Amino acid sequence: MLEVDNIHVNYGRLQALRGVSLSVREGEIVCVVGPNGAGKSTTLGAIAGGVTPHAGRITLRGQSLGGLPPEAVARLGVSLVPEGRHVFGSLTVAENLRIGTFQRRDRAAVAADFERILEHFPRLRERLQQPAGRLSGGEQQMLVIGRALMTRPRLVMVDEPSLGLAPKIVDQVYDILIKLRHAANLTLLINEQSSERVLKFADRIYVMRGGRIHLEDRAANLQDGKAIMQAYFGFADGTGAPPPLSPAPTMKRAAE
Amino acid sequence: MNSPLVMRQIREWWPVLSLAAIVTLVTAIAIWMGGDEIKVTLTEMLIRMTVVIATYLFIGNSGILSFGHIGFMCIGAYAAGWATCNPAWKQLMLTGLPAFLQENEYPFLLAVGGGGLLAAIVALIFGAAVIRLSGIAASIATFAFLAIVNSVYSNWDSVTAGTSSIIGIPQVVGPWEALAFALVSMVVAYVFQQSRYGLMLKASRDDEVAAKASAIDIVKVRLIAFVASAFLVGVGGALYGHFLGVLTVDIFYMGLTFVTLSMLVVGGIGSLFGAVSGVLIVTLIVQVLRAFEAGFKIGGATVALPQGSQEIGLGVIMALILLFRPSGLTKSREVPWPFTTRDARPTAAEQAQPAE
Amino acid sequence: MIGFLQNLIDALSLGSLYALAALGIGLLFGILRLTNFAHGDFISFGAYALIVPSLEVTATKFIGNWPWYLTLPAIAALVVLLALLSDFLVFRKLRQASAPTLMIASFAVGYVIQNVILMVYGARPKAIDVWSSLQQQVVIGELRVPQLQLVTIGITIVLMLGLSLFLNRTSYGVQMRAAAEDFRMARYLGVKANFVIGLAFAISGLLAAMVSLLFVSQTGTLSYVMGVPLMLFAFIATVIGGMGSLIGAVIGGFAVGFVSVMCQAYLPEELRSFRDAFVFAIVIAVLIFRPSGLIPTKALVQRV
Repeated sequence: MLEVDNIHVNYGRLQALRGVSLSVREGEIVCVVGPNGAGKSTTLGAIAGGVTPHAGRITLRGQSLGGLPPEAVARLGVSLVPEGRHVFGSLTVAENLRIGTFQRRDRAAVAADFERILEHFPRLRERLQQPAGRLSGGEQQMLVIGRALMTRPRLVMVDEPSLGLAPKIVDQVYDILIKLRHAANLTLLINEQSSERVLKFADRIYVMRGGRIHLEDRAANLQDGKAIMQAYFGFADGTGAPPPLSPAPTMKRAAE
Repeated sequence: MNSPLVMRQIREWWPVLSLAAIVTLVTAIAIWMGGDEIKVTLTEMLIRMTVVIATYLFIGNSGILSFGHIGFMCIGAYAAGWATCNPAWKQLMLTGLPAFLQENEYPFLLAVGGGGLLAAIVALIFGAAVIRLSGIAASIATFAFLAIVNSVYSNWDSVTAGTSSIIGIPQVVGPWEALAFALVSMVVAYVFQQSRYGLMLKASRDDEVAAKASAIDIVKVRLIAFVASAFLVGVGGALYGHFLGVLTVDIFYMGLTFVTLSMLVVGGIGSLFGAVSGVLIVTLIVQVLRAFEAGFKIGGATVALPQGSQEIGLGVIMALILLFRPSGLTKSREVPWPFTTRDARPTAAEQAQPAE
Repeated sequence: MIGFLQNLIDALSLGSLYALAALGIGLLFGILRLTNFAHGDFISFGAYALIVPSLEVTATKFIGNWPWYLTLPAIAALVVLLALLSDFLVFRKLRQASAPTLMIASFAVGYVIQNVILMVYGARPKAIDVWSSLQQQVVIGELRVPQLQLVTIGITIVLMLGLSLFLNRTSYGVQMRAAAEDFRMARYLGVKANFVIGLAFAISGLLAAMVSLLFVSQTGTLSYVMGVPLMLFAFIATVIGGMGSLIGAVIGGFAVGFVSVMCQAYLPEELRSFRDAFVFAIVIAVLIFRPSGLIPTKALVQRV
């Protein structure tokens, strides 16, 4: 469904992505794991149209997404929940939910979706008329996921859903994502820093580091975590391994 | 002459030495080649150069746009004019002037210094009040400052002759005098940007939060630059008064603000090279546009651009530069060292240039 | 007491003008972070569009001669067109530009408009008679109030209510508010960037047109720099009110109007011509104590 083919992204002189390729099949849950600065957010940003790669191709169901502005990509059924939630704090919860629906023509279906989202996230129903800025972190995360779903996307990309949230809340978030995958026929592409969570949850996993993909496999094959750790930290063949620690000169002198 | 220490000194000072040489050369050639009209244009250009360099000292290093520098030029011009113009005339026309100004006639350099000083004092007071504002709000405040100076000076008849003119200011500023002050302001600007304060200011320009976290007192550093800049602009104003011989308030308003700002933008708002080259280039452009406005005789008919094309043309050029080369024609870099050397390490001046 | 009430109405009327102008500026700032120094020249343009281009001292009205229900939309349309044009030609390509670049760009746009007006209409101020019948006074109890002032206040209230309804009850309004808060996120959710921005420029132009008509009726004069003081006071209003907040812009506008009228009324005779300097000094005093304005928004606070 989604094909990312060898994209390169630069921020000024900084090379953020150096030839990243990945694919997502319809109905899959694919997770991208990697340390900070690996380029995970840039990858999602490139797919969603917020960042333009200067080389490579991105296609959605055969249609090229190259050069399309974010709002056009959204209309094609790709919804991005970026890192850090980004609720519209001065708008109410209800307004936040509706913000993505103005491009849709099917008003009755919009109303039905609205009800359905509130069923999944009952806490939001309680706070419908409150400014979204007053919600707790976990509630905001629910809100932005619900908001993204209101656009009736085919592909939902979530950037680090667990960031800044308590583990119990993160569990809830993932439970809901799984439920929704079945209920709403979604395809999910998720960035995560923690490989543990990802192993339980994903169909396939990519490991990214330094702007490149270092590992791709089905989650089932990676369960022992060793391969992931090697790709994550770069110990695979000795290259990229941190140098052995040598005792500091002062310590040596003290020992003498 | 080829000792490495001397070479290194030259290289360290190269950005300002090269500019000083270029400008002096241009001045000398223009004086030698041209007549009185060229001298007038040249003097005006060099006076504007002093003002633009002084403005750059603040804007380029702090990253805060100021629209009010011409207000300081006005203050400096009038202060110097009060000092040197005829006491008899002053006692008749400018009844509000304090006695020490009204009854005396002061030497030129003292007047220039006084002009700069008054501008600096006003800058200190005004700056202290608005320096805490965010960059955008501060810029708006400087715009309002320009308007306020214009309003006050237009209405304070007893001191400024209001909307009529102060006349009889000794016209002692010609191209060489103006050149001298332009060179001085070049050196001052360069010394400042290489100094501790310049470095701290540039740090705050690039990343305010990080600068604060490095114990840089942003308010103090910005204020120092603002006052220093105002002093030099005031000096430029004093020069201008002693070049024109006559002062009116309305010359220190939108038009001059726009021209000086466009010089900075076209040249490059972030470097001394940008400021100086901007003055040279825009002066040339304005001369060309002026010639087109005056018109050419083609086969008996006069073909000319309508009045006001100068300003519109300059505005369009400024917009084009902003669209396609926002860091100016020099890309806000200093004059590059033209020779390759075995010593590959960049000097402090070269290291201080913006990374892109 | 009567004198004070009279001054109060003056203040409300002047404050309304400033509030409208400040709204036009605040809207573009909120959505685009654009400080539009050309806004005053949009206002000048709207006023000059009433007359036939000429260098004469007396103005020959053209659109100004039409009945008000035609003049109003015509001038509004022309100013909106100018605003959209300036976006299309200049600001559209500067979406990612830094704040100083945007400021200088808008200054350049304004300067060009000013000088085009200068070229076409000449430098001398012109007298113009627009809706001067509104100068007639209405008697309310012991007060004598020019109709025009009441009209100004009335139109301002209507426009502000209209804008508020638009922003809160219509889908475009919600999209604009979302875009003002987090432009990028709004786009990720399908909000059309250029459309929302165009809408903002259009509304800004509409507000500028209203200000120009009201201002010209009040002063009866046209001058190619007439927009500059309005623009400056409007900007000062947004700075005092808190940049990024529309309500702040309105409050700031009324505050500046209030201070201005009070200074005019109660300053001793000799100091009255320095009224603007006093207004400014008072503004500075306010800013010393509240540098982010009376109603600060998160717009300018950098999150660490």
